Amino acid sequence: MNRDLRFTALKKTPFHSRTSLASRTNKYYNWNGFTVPTEYSTTELEYTAARNGTSVMDLTPMCKYMINGSDANRFVDYLVTRDLSQMEDNTVAYIIWCNEDGKVMDDGTIFKFSDTKFMLCCAVKIYNWLHDSAEGFDVSCEDATDTTAALAIQGPTSCSTLKNYGADDLELLKPFGMKQYNINGYDVLISRTGFTGDLGYELWTNPANAENMWDSIMEAGKELKIRPFGMHALEMTRIEAGFIQTNTDFMAAEDSLRPVRMRSPYEIGMGWLVHLNKESYFVGKRALKKEKETGNSERCLVGLDIDGDKPAVGSVIYNEKKEDIGIVTAAMWSPTMKRNVALASLKRPYGIKIKENIFAEIYHPEELEYKKIWAKCKVVKRQFFSPERRNKVPADLYE
Amino acid sequence: MSDNYDVIVIGAGHNGLVCANILAKKNRKVLICEARDNCGGLLEESITNFVPQIPMSVSSSLGGLPVKYKAKSSIALSESGQHIRLVGNQHIDHKVISGFSSKDADRYVEFHDKMSSFSKALGSFMMASPPRIMNNTFSDYFKLFKLGMNVRMLGKKKFNEFARMIGLNIADELEDNFENTLLQGLIAHDAVLGSNLGPRSPGSLINLLFRMATHDNSIFGGIYEIDGGSKAFVDTLLDISNKNKVEIKTSSSVKRCITENDKAVGVELHNGEKIYAKKIISNADPRSTYFSLLGTENLDTDVKRRIKHHRSKGKVAKLSLSLNKQPEFINCDKDDLESRMVIAPSIDYIEEAFNPSKFDKLSMEPILEMKLKNSDQSNPALDIQVQYASYGAQEGWDNIKDNYVDAVIKLIEKYAPDIQSCIETKAIVTPDDIEKNFHVTGGHWHHGEIQIDQLFMLRPIPGASQYRTHLDGLYMCGAGTHPGGGLTGIPGRNAAQAILEDA
Ligand SMILES: Cc1cc2nc3c(=O)[nH]c(=O)nc-3n(C[C@H](O)[C@H](O)[C@H](O)COP(=O)(O)OP(=O)(O)OC[C@H]3O[C@@H](n4cnc5c(N)ncnc54)[C@H](O)[C@@H]3O)c2cc1C
Repeated sequence: MNRDLRFTALKKTPFHSRTSLASRTNKYYNWNGFTVPTEYSTTELEYTAARNGTSVMDLTPMCKYMINGSDANRFVDYLVTRDLSQMEDNTVAYIIWCNEDGKVMDDGTIFKFSDTKFMLCCAVKIYNWLHDSAEGFDVSCEDATDTTAALAIQGPTSCSTLKNYGADDLELLKPFGMKQYNINGYDVLISRTGFTGDLGYELWTNPANAENMWDSIMEAGKELKIRPFGMHALEMTRIEAGFIQTNTDFMAAEDSLRPVRMRSPYEIGMGWLVHLNKESYFVGKRALKKEKETGNSERCLVGLDIDGDKPAVGSVIYNEKKEDIGIVTAAMWSPTMKRNVALASLKRPYGIKIKENIFAEIYHPEELEYKKIWAKCKVVKRQFFSPERRNKVPADLYE
Repeated sequence: MSDNYDVIVIGAGHNGLVCANILAKKNRKVLICEARDNCGGLLEESITNFVPQIPMSVSSSLGGLPVKYKAKSSIALSESGQHIRLVGNQHIDHKVISGFSSKDADRYVEFHDKMSSFSKALGSFMMASPPRIMNNTFSDYFKLFKLGMNVRMLGKKKFNEFARMIGLNIADELEDNFENTLLQGLIAHDAVLGSNLGPRSPGSLINLLFRMATHDNSIFGGIYEIDGGSKAFVDTLLDISNKNKVEIKTSSSVKRCITENDKAVGVELHNGEKIYAKKIISNADPRSTYFSLLGTENLDTDVKRRIKHHRSKGKVAKLSLSLNKQPEFINCDKDDLESRMVIAPSIDYIEEAFNPSKFDKLSMEPILEMKLKNSDQSNPALDIQVQYASYGAQEGWDNIKDNYVDAVIKLIEKYAPDIQSCIETKAIVTPDDIEKNFHVTGGHWHHGEIQIDQLFMLRPIPGASQYRTHLDGLYMCGAGTHPGGGLTGIPGRNAAQAILEDA
């Protein structure tokens, strides 16, 4: 092992030869120890492809864990707040998990192959957590991050692109369904999941297949407005979709130094994922039950519709009396909806009982000077963008 | 579901019995389920030697506990026959030590006073239930504040001294004070007794303070023998149980707690029988309480981590020798033989005995605490606590037991040359045996180390102090809780109080 950290290079994903070729800007960032593009050409162009064509993103750095064993089903049900006891084979579920204080550690997706085999995908590394949680369960947990190559293929023409690539009957796959394919001689798992709030898929395969898969998909989408997209464009689409991001919209419980910064699911709009009536115990259940019973949740995470067109990035939110009631965690001008939107963490009752007469203080940079804007906001559903095509079965196809 | 009982106590160790009786006296209908076919747990001739006195606070909550004690002196045996016998009385002990070193004698009185005042400051805290650090309630902070005040009231100088000493090892402190290595060895022996520490391990000093706090705040003054032995003590507890109508089911090992809506509502025995009650109390050690009774699938990950890291590897074995005649201990008179005889001739000797135990191995020259019984009768016996007899010894207890016993006897031979010829039978109980036969994970004296990270409100683990577990309705009353093991009954009493508070 190279013990001198100064000279430990970031890892390259199995798609690196292709993503680096596609990069026009040479802008990269460190995602989970891998170097991946923030932007290939311009973020606006990439965003537009995601909303009007097919966008391709290298997802490999995402943490992936394989959970195997006779207790696998019981174990994942114990690990997360959602009731997974009735989950069907070959489906995917959106999940969150908490620590003993009922504070959210991360969100992610769980893929069920069978009662004895699951895959967990998430942002924050949790191998130790899985391992220690597994005490008493007959399961083994394995970090598959480096051994699984993953691509997100998202956008209105994504289904057509993948059909051209060789994914037969893909249009029949339901949202949160998954299907195993063999394409060009390689096994490829395709799930109808994604982070853009639109029609889209994620592909999981052996790293040896990565370059072939990338090339074949680019070829398959040639006439369907295909384009690789980076982190910045993804950030735009996920805000529009109202998806939350760990350590951006809330602090992961294990990462926050200050206990008051930790958030329960009820405080980040994830209460719907907490099934307190689940028969078996799950990590954090006692604390969450208490919070629910006493109703002492302190914050909430809401969507804001903001007057004007200046994004409220990092803005403090005030009430009528100019008292500080929260902060914007993510904000953008949405080109698709022509709306100025944001996600904000507010102190209750703001956001829950009081939804009007709140204000964002926006500092808008104009050629080395800041213009201070006092913009009226309205609390709205966090899911700003959710087109009908997102959940349509069969999925829309284009020539 | 019907509540047949108000309370079920799992385990009839002395703490379980104390707890059950206090509750029964408050008109609770109590059942005890004990895995073994007899009661008392580790309170048994084959285990315990010398004991502290049950404190007033415990016996009075039982409406009196008619157990008689005999005070015992302690003698540090020396191969040369220059033994030191201390009785726990300052004047007498001063005189005895003067015979070896007048400097040591004066220092001993000073040292004892200092330790005694610290132990007294801990005292009230020892008796009470510790604050729960995860509660953030006023009364919990108040308790912490009071402990701080108790120590602070000793004066600034002593407070600083206390702060200095709390993480210290006993060897440094003894070597700073005394020149006689035998005296050093005797005190160091008591500082490490029952623990997984050597005299040079940090924290061995607080171990001694903890011991003193339950032994009349004295180093050698609060050491007793039970009149009539352990059996008399257990019988007394059973008499009281009878009077208080505590039901006891022996040979009834509890498999798990039955829960409903995440609350303990009963127990299931290994034979499948289910019994229900409003509250369940476990006299079992923390690990088996959490991992077996509560069940790993009902625990938060963080709690599992804490229990997994809970240190509870036992280090003491008990060797019982039945004798056909009384052995001749070199240069020992009748009073000496009646004493608690300790073979731990110096700090270095103890540390050497401890060294292999760091690697879960055995030293063939361990430290010993011995009790000669029935010395005036035809059937004398020698009961020996053998320390650093590691739980799960790498050598494998099955392979090495006989050799180990022989080594211990060879060691005693140096002090009593005719011991071999006196021995009729020999029986050793190792920590592994204790785990198996007494159902104590790791076979630990205190059901878990007495060390700074497992003390007070951290005992047995953070979030589970105050005798309550993480499961509503399930409590703990054994040596694994505050203030730890030994025949004090304090955990049992405090647990009963916690339950009465919650009712
Ligand atoms: C080798 C050794 C020597 C010691 N020497 C001394 C000494 O000389 N002086 C001294 O003061 N202290 C001594 N101690 C310490 C002292 O004996 C103990 O700390 C004390 O007896 C503990 O009492 P307890 O009631 O908490 O637990 P225990 O006495 O351990 O009782 C627990 C009881 O619970 C029962 N139990 C456990 N699990 C279950 C279950 N699932 N179902 C039903 N029943 C169950 C067990 O069978 C046991 O009877 C010694 C300890 C050891 C290990």
